[in-house]
Amino acid sequence: MNYFPDEVIEHVFDFVVSHRDRNSISLVCKSWHKIERLSRKEVFIGNCYAINPERLIGRFPCLKSLTLKGKPHFADFNLVPHEWGGFVLPWIEALARSRVGLEELRLKRMVVTDESLELLSRSFANFKSLVLVSCEGFTTDGLASIAANCRQLRELDLQENEIDDHRGQWLNCFPDSCTTLISLNFACLKGETNVAALERLVARSPNLKSLKLNRAVPLDALARLMSCAPQLVDLGVGSYENEPDPESFAKLMTAIEKCMSLRSLSGFLEVAPLCLPAFYPICQNLISLNLSYAAEIQGNHLIKLIQLCKRLQRLWILDSIGDKGLAVVAATCKELQELRVFPSDVHGEEDNNAAVTEVGLVAISAGCPKLHSILYFCKQMTNAALIAVAKNCPNFIRFRLCILEPHKPDHITSQSLDEGFGAIVQACKGLRRLSVSGLLTDQVFLYIGMYAEQLEMLSIAFAGDTDKGMLYVLNGCKKMRKLEIRDSPFGNAALLADVGRYETMRSLWMSSCEVTLGGCKRLAQNSPRLNVEIINENENNRMEQNEEDEREKVDKLYLYRTVVGTRKDAPPYVRIL
Amino acid sequence: MEVSNSCSSFSSSSVDSTKPSPSESSVNLSLSLTFPSTSPQREARQDWPPIKSRLRDTLKGRRLLRRGDDTSLFVKVYMEGVPIGRKLDLCAFSGYESLLENLSHMFDTSIICGNRDRKHHVLTYEDKDGDWMMVGDIPWDMFLETVRRLKITRPERY
Repeated sequence: MNYFPDEVIEHVFDFVVSHRDRNSISLVCKSWHKIERLSRKEVFIGNCYAINPERLIGRFPCLKSLTLKGKPHFADFNLVPHEWGGFVLPWIEALARSRVGLEELRLKRMVVTDESLELLSRSFANFKSLVLVSCEGFTTDGLASIAANCRQLRELDLQENEIDDHRGQWLNCFPDSCTTLISLNFACLKGETNVAALERLVARSPNLKSLKLNRAVPLDALARLMSCAPQLVDLGVGSYENEPDPESFAKLMTAIEKCMSLRSLSGFLEVAPLCLPAFYPICQNLISLNLSYAAEIQGNHLIKLIQLCKRLQRLWILDSIGDKGLAVVAATCKELQELRVFPSDVHGEEDNNAAVTEVGLVAISAGCPKLHSILYFCKQMTNAALIAVAKNCPNFIRFRLCILEPHKPDHITSQSLDEGFGAIVQACKGLRRLSVSGLLTDQVFLYIGMYAEQLEMLSIAFAGDTDKGMLYVLNGCKKMRKLEIRDSPFGNAALLADVGRYETMRSLWMSSCEVTLGGCKRLAQNSPRLNVEIINENENNRMEQNEEDEREKVDKLYLYRTVVGTRKDAPPYVRIL
Repeated sequence: MEVSNSCSSFSSSSVDSTKPSPSESSVNLSLSLTFPSTSPQREARQDWPPIKSRLRDTLKGRRLLRRGDDTSLFVKVYMEGVPIGRKLDLCAFSGYESLLENLSHMFDTSIICGNRDRKHHVLTYEDKDGDWMMVGDIPWDMFLETVRRLKITRPERY
């Protein structure tokens, strides 16, 4: 029932960019489904095992950009064994075979091999952008193939990957004719860098806007790089432990002063604090500052830097900044939208009075009216503080609080933190992501189920008393997509109450909980569109199937909806029911 | 009132999978599931707190830099009015609190830093420049870099 020719409708669809909106469009009628699928350029797949490459290509033959996510989120914290899965090779092979005109590939938590990268580099003549986040399995040899073969490469962005550094000459592999680079991020590489090759590459890349260096790039090289790339918008500084000599420092200062377009700064691994003042002139332009790896810089140096950053919108920092530092942030950074405060003392060994507490959190909430995302690691919290934060900032979209000691109560009243988190979910009507911690009973989940209507992702650790807790959440949060739970007393009753619910979600993770093998089997029995995976790495516990005890508790359960059935690439310790 | 050791209610199968053998599991169980806040022998967990490997490695590296086994910083400590001083390894302390506690014990009196109190002894130090300063104003690590010696002043001076 189209009143317009297909081309017109397609043109209108071009303005619809978000994949959720496009998914909705495709459900309107067969005609729109067809027009939409043939014009779709960007596809997002949140779980690589929910679908397979053949069906992807069948539906979207004209795709240019693919985003794939592999392992579950808790893999970031070593809860998922390395060989669990998430291999990208089959996807690249299928795309190559079908001659899809791939231009962009974005992967998160996937296993990427040098073979995949080589195939990728040779199969797509217009390939422009590779973004790898928290991936593993490849070496700098794979990067060399990308550098050498992707003639149109604009973006190579490596974030937090485990890359085997062969100390080769991958930077040398960019041909002299390569002048199209816009973004280059190799901060996570651990080995030596051919600085001369890097300087030549930067010199011939006039469009370079984002450059993030690894620790091997010294101060004098940084100065030269910035001198030939004053157009940089985003810079990741390497590391230099020694105090610079005055001449090097002067050169750095001159180079930095010319970089008037710089808006985002990161890196600073092991930086000698006296180098920081070189960056003072551009602080007033910064909108993003990531000092979460600057473990050697003390609070007072950080404060001096931040005091100048009046336009800051995003700040990632270590808790060495202290409550005092956060008060400075609250007074200075009125445009702040996102704050992440990471722990600097993970073993509780430091007699550290400078770490952040609930005081810093309240100060930020009071001082920064535009704040909508927070990740906050701290040693103590109170209900009163959380209630104040909820009142000050009803606009939170993401609220993640991690109190370092599990089960820790309100440190003043010794009560659970149910009321504090309850206040957060009640006030923040747009909350989409929440992580809870500290001493929590089933009550907090009652509140979450009741009030967190927009909640899509919930992370629970060491919380709750009975199955009721999990049930409140499953029954209440209608928009829940990802639920991840560890070390909490939820069992079969909660797991099995509404099996159909899981098809409305992307995935559920439960580890060190009370669910049993029997419960998981019952769950899997009537759910052909769910993969129920039991991960059990302990060889001693693996028994013959006829000997197994259904009452035995499952160490790790990961279940997800899928339309392509059981995957064939699981390692022996993953059992798919 | 709940305390952090309430994890004992969890069953034995939720054991940290890196544990070596079943016979040792009951001992290691208590190590892996409880979280005493000050336990120098506690095995480092790889899955808590929930931070990514790269940050975890960065922080580990940092600790090694600062707490090398062969570092020590012996400084002289005098109590005002007492001719014979003591010597103290400042690297043995994790911060001002533990330093004060130790000094108070060593000199058998209560010592504070920061507030000028007519009743208590106040701890001062000589810095790199030869100036005498009040202990406690600067971060601990910076203090270690600049301190030359310590002096515990009598209350009447202030």
